[in-house]
Amino acid sequence: MNRIESRLNTQSAEFQANAEHNRRLAAEFREKQERARHARPQRDVERLAAQNKMPVRERIKLLLDPGTPFLEFSSLAANEAYDGDVPGAGCVTGIGIVSGREVVINAGDPSVKGGAWYPLTVKKTVRALDIAIENRLPVVHLCDSAGGFLPLQAELFADKYYAGRIFRNQCILSKMGVQQVAVVLGHCTAGGAYVPGLSDYNVIVRGTGAIFLAGPPLVKAATGEEVSVDELGGCDMHTSVSGTADYPASSEEEAIAIARDIVGQFKRPQKSAIEWLPPEAPLYDPAELYGILPRDIKQQFDMREVIARLVDGSRFHEYQPNYGKTLICGYAHLWGYKIGILANNGVLFNDSALKGAHFIELCNQNRTPILFLQNITGFMVGREYERRGITKDGAKMIMAVSCSEVPKFTVMCHGSFGAGNYGMSGRAFDSRFLFSWPQSQISVMGAEQAANTLADVKIRQLARQGKQLGEADIAAIREPVLGEFKRKQSAYWSTSEIWDDGILDPVDTRNALGICLSAALNTPILDPRYGIFRM
Amino acid sequence: MFHAFKLDDNEYDLGLSRAAQGYRLHLGDKTVPVELHPQDDGSALLHIDGVRRRVFIATRGDDVFVHLDGAAYHLRYEHPLARLSHQAHGSADDSVRAPMPGSVVAHHVKAGDSVSRDQSVLVIESMKMETTLVAPRDGVVAEIVYAVGQTFERDAVLLALAPVGE
Amino acid sequence: MNNWPFRSVLVANRGEIAVRILRTVQSLGLEGAIVYHAADRDSKAVRMADKAVEITGKTPVGAYLDGAQIIDAARRVGAGAIHPGYGFLSENAEFARAVAAAGIVFVGPTPEQIELMGDKVRARAFVADGGFPVAPSAIEDDDPATFVERARQVPLPLLIKPAAGGGGKGMRIVRSLDVLEAEIERARSEGQRYFGDGRLYVECYVENPRHIEVQVLGDTHGNVVHLYERECSVQRRFQKIVEETPSPALSAELRREICETAAGIARKAGYRNAGTVEFIFGNGVFYFLEMNTRLQVEHPVTEVITGKDLVHEQLRIAAGEALGYGQEDVRSEGHAIEFRIYAEDPARGFTPTTGPVLTLREPADTRVDSGISQGQEVTAAFDPMLAKLIVAGRDRADAIARAERALADYVLLGCRTNTAFLRRLIQHPAFVAGDVHTGFLDANPAIAAEPELKVDTLHALLGAGALVTRSLRDPADLVPSLHAAIGDWSN
Repeated sequence: MNRIESRLNTQSAEFQANAEHNRRLAAEFREKQERARHARPQRDVERLAAQNKMPVRERIKLLLDPGTPFLEFSSLAANEAYDGDVPGAGCVTGIGIVSGREVVINAGDPSVKGGAWYPLTVKKTVRALDIAIENRLPVVHLCDSAGGFLPLQAELFADKYYAGRIFRNQCILSKMGVQQVAVVLGHCTAGGAYVPGLSDYNVIVRGTGAIFLAGPPLVKAATGEEVSVDELGGCDMHTSVSGTADYPASSEEEAIAIARDIVGQFKRPQKSAIEWLPPEAPLYDPAELYGILPRDIKQQFDMREVIARLVDGSRFHEYQPNYGKTLICGYAHLWGYKIGILANNGVLFNDSALKGAHFIELCNQNRTPILFLQNITGFMVGREYERRGITKDGAKMIMAVSCSEVPKFTVMCHGSFGAGNYGMSGRAFDSRFLFSWPQSQISVMGAEQAANTLADVKIRQLARQGKQLGEADIAAIREPVLGEFKRKQSAYWSTSEIWDDGILDPVDTRNALGICLSAALNTPILDPRYGIFRM
Repeated sequence: MFHAFKLDDNEYDLGLSRAAQGYRLHLGDKTVPVELHPQDDGSALLHIDGVRRRVFIATRGDDVFVHLDGAAYHLRYEHPLARLSHQAHGSADDSVRAPMPGSVVAHHVKAGDSVSRDQSVLVIESMKMETTLVAPRDGVVAEIVYAVGQTFERDAVLLALAPVGE
Repeated sequence: MNNWPFRSVLVANRGEIAVRILRTVQSLGLEGAIVYHAADRDSKAVRMADKAVEITGKTPVGAYLDGAQIIDAARRVGAGAIHPGYGFLSENAEFARAVAAAGIVFVGPTPEQIELMGDKVRARAFVADGGFPVAPSAIEDDDPATFVERARQVPLPLLIKPAAGGGGKGMRIVRSLDVLEAEIERARSEGQRYFGDGRLYVECYVENPRHIEVQVLGDTHGNVVHLYERECSVQRRFQKIVEETPSPALSAELRREICETAAGIARKAGYRNAGTVEFIFGNGVFYFLEMNTRLQVEHPVTEVITGKDLVHEQLRIAAGEALGYGQEDVRSEGHAIEFRIYAEDPARGFTPTTGPVLTLREPADTRVDSGISQGQEVTAAFDPMLAKLIVAGRDRADAIARAERALADYVLLGCRTNTAFLRRLIQHPAFVAGDVHTGFLDANPAIAAEPELKVDTLHALLGAGALVTRSLRDPADLVPSLHAAIGDWSN
């Protein structure tokens, strides 16, 4: 495999301006993340300490093996919701190493509204368990929750992918033979009681841990019975009488040590065999990614330069280099694993769509996982292209993406607009993991375009009513629409709504993808079978 | 990082992880690269803190003996679960309960006695079998609830220890 | 020697000395037999011996004190000679007689010589009678009326000791005669109070005394030579730890004087076989202390500087052969130091230690007289001395330098020993200057204390420990190589 030859001039003013811009965005992202992870009202911090509870990140640190990486998902979930009062959606999820095994961590954050489940908390948890199911990863639950957030119950209770899905996922994991251990570090009430209840193993902390379908106040209200938390659902009752809990622990540290020991008993998964070579760092400095990404969303850049800063040795075997040039396809290694890459270098034309579908088939035949690097404004429109069957060709690409059996990974590098999102394996297309870069944008069409369209509607409406609008009036209609649109297409909105598995600083992408690739290989790769390609 | 080694009277917390080459020793906030290469003559070369030393190491159970820089040392390994369970205290451990219905055959202690964990405190008889019950933790006997010959139900508190801190 | 009167020698001892004796016996083409208690069944000496006979006793030590069993064992294996080593029955005149009565050669002096020197009062009187220097003293019992007057004649400083005393109790040092009578009264009342006996004696007090002893050899033909002196001042609770030769305290003149005094004493006794005359030395004067009628623990340093194999000489003498050389043929060359390696913990009051000998590596180019081998278990059944490290050098400084290296290279894992303490000891400026006396260790308790652990030593220990402990190593090895390579990272 040849190395990509970079054509960048890292000294150019353009490069430097981009770099400064993107570094600033990355710094802002880190700062926001830091606050979401750690800034808490003093009274919540004190309350935790008074209850003898460790902060969630300290619990996770003790749980994970020293000297190993932790890939956190959706650290900025809910950052645009609930007035920003529920950082991280009140829970921490991710992939870490416990006793040498890759596991999914699902930890409640009791320093955020007592760990109450908001709608986005539920969504984040369901997503973490979906990841566990798709990648056959054991799960460690660190349970500490006040229960569902009642005022928003209509958004978290009844629907198919709401709270019930958490427990359904737990059952499916168990059915699949994928292990779960729950550590009860606080109250597991009502639905929450099913997290340890449905885990294969669970540990409960004496004094602070409790499991009950209804707590003492509700029990009193329901039947008049007066009973203490401990008697109703505490450690000793559940470990020695009801058998609901397996291991008693006298401290959080002991509970976590027991959980580590339990995970140490799990049989290790058999990894799917894919091509692998000893890893090599990229030849080009990943920090140069900051200089490659343009400040303007509409501006184009050469994805090869991005690939060169992600893959091993910056080596890339390009497929069909002369055909469908707006879509780059090729093979590379990332942290040793052989992968196929589809990356946008412009809009998708007939030929690039066909090339993409073909290349996805090649990767499936070759059992090569696929990485999609998105920067797409959409498929080409216009009469010539419709006559050539652009709809058909786009459909073929979407068919190939949807039916692909090899693991897929998607990174929103810049723009992700319209159906291009679909052809490039957007959220709906079951990529095992999907991340966004801080400056990326995602919406059905560009903001300007959308704002103009919506403003036009309004202007024509007013015109029919006989109103004549000046520049300022048009601007007054257009600006709020534009602002609202921009807000809801930003990476922060996407990550808040958990349309992705987290924002990544571009320089962290390589490590994140390496970890994801390793995690994805616990699931066998089946032989491909596709639906009908409209020819 | 719940593991520890005891060296004489001091306890040292530590963790170990693997690196691309060699290993890392985790001590509090510090990470120290370390490697150990056994040699043919029974010694080993230890690389740590940028220094390569010739050492001899022998183990027996959880005891590690190291000869280093002309002196011999004895380290005792402590497993996390053993360390953490020794800190166990709690309301469950304030009483000795009957595992099944039966009668008391003998008392080995009386109220006011100091007992140590796992020390036998009374003997009960049930289903023609005698069982010795032990103290769940170090403590002081507060009350012997059932006298010799008396019968009791399952789960009855047969002996109570004074709560910790009293 | 070609025609030995005995074909086989039974070693009535254990540990390092048994190994050492067997080594010479076997090197001479003789058969080496040994008695052993079950506790020593797997020991180095027993495995080395050509024949081994098990003996029993109420305690392991008791077995080695059972003369009858030992003689019986010698008969059974046809041993024509018994070497008693040191300790146990080596200075037991009755045993020596019984051995002779059984028609077996006792490798040592005559029973009469053992008895003479075994009785400290008789020995002292014998030596004084020969005009050899003994510590001036005045014994009250000799003539209570003249006691105080005779006490005044004892050179200052002097020590008033209770006749019934011990353990340093009731002793009073007197440095000037005007307080003598008052001190005598006080000592008497203390003696009465502590021991119920107010009788006293007075002895000349040597401040910071040094322990100097001289090796002597005598044959059955009346020849006696000395093999120079050994200094054994580094002691603890009267137990020797380090011995060396030549003594750094003696001028050539004094050396000659002490050695010839020892030879003279041996000659007067008509001494046969190996023995050691012990002196106390201080302020330029020396006094006879006692004579040991056996081979001593520290004999190797003498062997190093004289080039003689003392056990070989003992066997030759026992076989009736003449020494064959005179005093002028005995040369002393170089310097030798012996270190006793004990199973003990100097930092914790020298308490004896036990444990398995998991690893044993002896330093190269160093004589190590050892009774232990890898795989053995050190128990509390016997004396805690495990081995002797004997270092030779061109001169004292050279010997000390080699000793530092040798002690550092002596590896024994599984049972704590005193080697680190010995290294610290020889680095002490007083030792380097040759300025030691029997109270040296008690005056410098800091030597026994363990130095503070340096950070890099701690890291090295924890690193080594972690890498050989399964509970730490296995989980680290299980981490997939990708995650190991990425290390401590989070997004």
